[in-house]
Amino acid sequence: MTDLKAPVTVPGIVGARSGAGSVLGRISIPIAIVVLVVIGAVTSPSFLTPSNLLNVLNANSTVGLIALGMTFVAVCGGLADLSVPANVAMGGLIALGAQPAVGAVPAAILGLVVATLGGVVNGVLVGYLRINPIIATLGTGSVLLGLSQLVIGGGIVYGSPSAIADFVSGSALGVPIFIWIFVIVALILQPVLSRTAFGRWNLAVGGNYAAAAASAVPVRFTKGMAFVLTGFLSGLCGVLLALSNGQARPIIGTGYEFVAITAVVIGGSSLFGGRGSIIRTVGGVLITALIGNLIILIGFPTQATGLITGAIVLAAVGVDAYFRRKAGRE
Amino acid sequence: MKRVTFRTAGTRIVQYRLLVMLAAVAIFGAVSVNDFLTFDTFQSVLDRATVVGFLALGLTPVLIAGQIDLSIGSALSMAGITTIFMQPIIGNVPAALAGLAVGVLIGVINGIIVVVFKINSLVATLATLLIFASLALLVTNSYPLSSADPIFGIPLTSDLLVILTPRSAIFVAAALIMFVWLKATPSGRNLYAVGSNAPAATSAGINANAYLFMTFVISGFCAGAAGVLQSLSTAAGSPVAGAVMLIPAITAVVIGGTRLEGGRGSSLATFGGVLALGALTALLEYNGVPSYTQAVYTGLLLILLITLDRIVSGDGTTTSRTHRRGRVAPNTPSNS
Repeated sequence: MTDLKAPVTVPGIVGARSGAGSVLGRISIPIAIVVLVVIGAVTSPSFLTPSNLLNVLNANSTVGLIALGMTFVAVCGGLADLSVPANVAMGGLIALGAQPAVGAVPAAILGLVVATLGGVVNGVLVGYLRINPIIATLGTGSVLLGLSQLVIGGGIVYGSPSAIADFVSGSALGVPIFIWIFVIVALILQPVLSRTAFGRWNLAVGGNYAAAAASAVPVRFTKGMAFVLTGFLSGLCGVLLALSNGQARPIIGTGYEFVAITAVVIGGSSLFGGRGSIIRTVGGVLITALIGNLIILIGFPTQATGLITGAIVLAAVGVDAYFRRKAGRE
Repeated sequence: MKRVTFRTAGTRIVQYRLLVMLAAVAIFGAVSVNDFLTFDTFQSVLDRATVVGFLALGLTPVLIAGQIDLSIGSALSMAGITTIFMQPIIGNVPAALAGLAVGVLIGVINGIIVVVFKINSLVATLATLLIFASLALLVTNSYPLSSADPIFGIPLTSDLLVILTPRSAIFVAAALIMFVWLKATPSGRNLYAVGSNAPAATSAGINANAYLFMTFVISGFCAGAAGVLQSLSTAAGSPVAGAVMLIPAITAVVIGGTRLEGGRGSSLATFGGVLALGALTALLEYNGVPSYTQAVYTGLLLILLITLDRIVSGDGTTTSRTHRRGRVAPNTPSNS
């Protein structure tokens, strides 16, 4: 986990990083995690217990899934997907709402499909029509969330007990299923971004759109697919949350887009494309998870979470920008 | 030939979209609601659009400069809380000024982060959005404050002049002042130059950083004004008041035709966008459409307008053709 690779660079498209910035970039995330763990161990005896750590990971693995998808969006230069809460809600509401009609498992799949379709709409708008991602996803988020509320009449949807609900809220080998799912998706997506043609297309499109287009990279498809992936993972997050809670309401994903973006940024992937990796985002998810847990254990009010996360985003990006400028001058 | 006429028609619709929208709302309103086309309706639409309108107005110079400010909602909440909290301590008017000052302060902080620390405005204001939303919840312990002097704010929404209430009059005046500044003064024109091409503007002797900084201060000031007006007229300071207003504000600016890419936009267009959005909302409410369905219409409208804008601007087709050529060029021999 501590073996953080430097982001894959495409020669000539993504500028090579040099000097202190590169070294710092590689070791800063493990250091931050170690520091947070040490602070936690010192301040609270209940921090370094398996149950606490598993709880922390469990609570953050669903939003972590979205952060993994958001990494692709960021890397390909798609800025951010702000329609995440809508796709989470769509996934969750349909997974429970369609249960009486089609059964638990088909309903869950239907939820995933609809959320993915939400991602397809984003992908067409951003990738093919080249609309600014912030505007496009604000619009689709507003529409999809409204539609999902319209379909269920604005209230809460309750699920009935089912085998799949028991499965996702259970655990295997002492580790909750949520964590397994997050780890497996991360293990799949890490090589997809760093080793496959699709991953390199993402880095290339984000690094230099025109050059990527001239190099026969299917730029529009790549950018679109990043949003489809995020839509799918948002849907997965919604389905998992809804099944394990046994209920879903349209606000279940509120704020998840910002948490996911924060994890991506803290991990060190650039929101402006061309630079980033899944392992970095996993690091970012761990850091945000630990911060949230420490805030509770130390006894700060939970409302302070945004304050501290925001400050850390600024610090992380500020330091990164400083070293980047310094490296550029040398 | 067909293509040309379609494009011309599309361009016209996009160009006059505000008029098209307002006319459509007026016609549907007149048909579906009794007494829709009255000064009273207009007054209430304008009055209720004031808060989102101030946010949108502040966002306009930021977008013209090619930046974005996501923290305006949080700034609104902070300004509102400050105003209501300070009312019993320093009096009504100083409290309102304190609320404005908080908005300006948040703008200054955004400006420093963007200009001095060179952090992109999207990330910077995302962080300040989180920070000040969190701070607003912290200082109020998540409970809305109620005003010590609830009578003071009532005149703000009372009848002033035919279609104006005092607070909507302030908004109209602010939009006009900004229009004059943007269109008729050298500093306004320089802002467009900075937004179109910052390095070129710098080469031409314009201090681009100063302009960027200023836009964030203006945006903070307007968000502060929105917060003060909202908290005074509702006699409450809610820590989450601004959270739901970012999207309508951005929608209003985009309906007006200001682009996120910078270098284009106008405060009167934003005013039109605010009005069109407000009129649409009022029409839907009068027809008993639930609020979540309104979000569907607003979002669809946003997507439709921006797609039309992209299709007819010509920019889109040029690039897509280039890409198609780019995609086949390396492998297939060129046949032209």
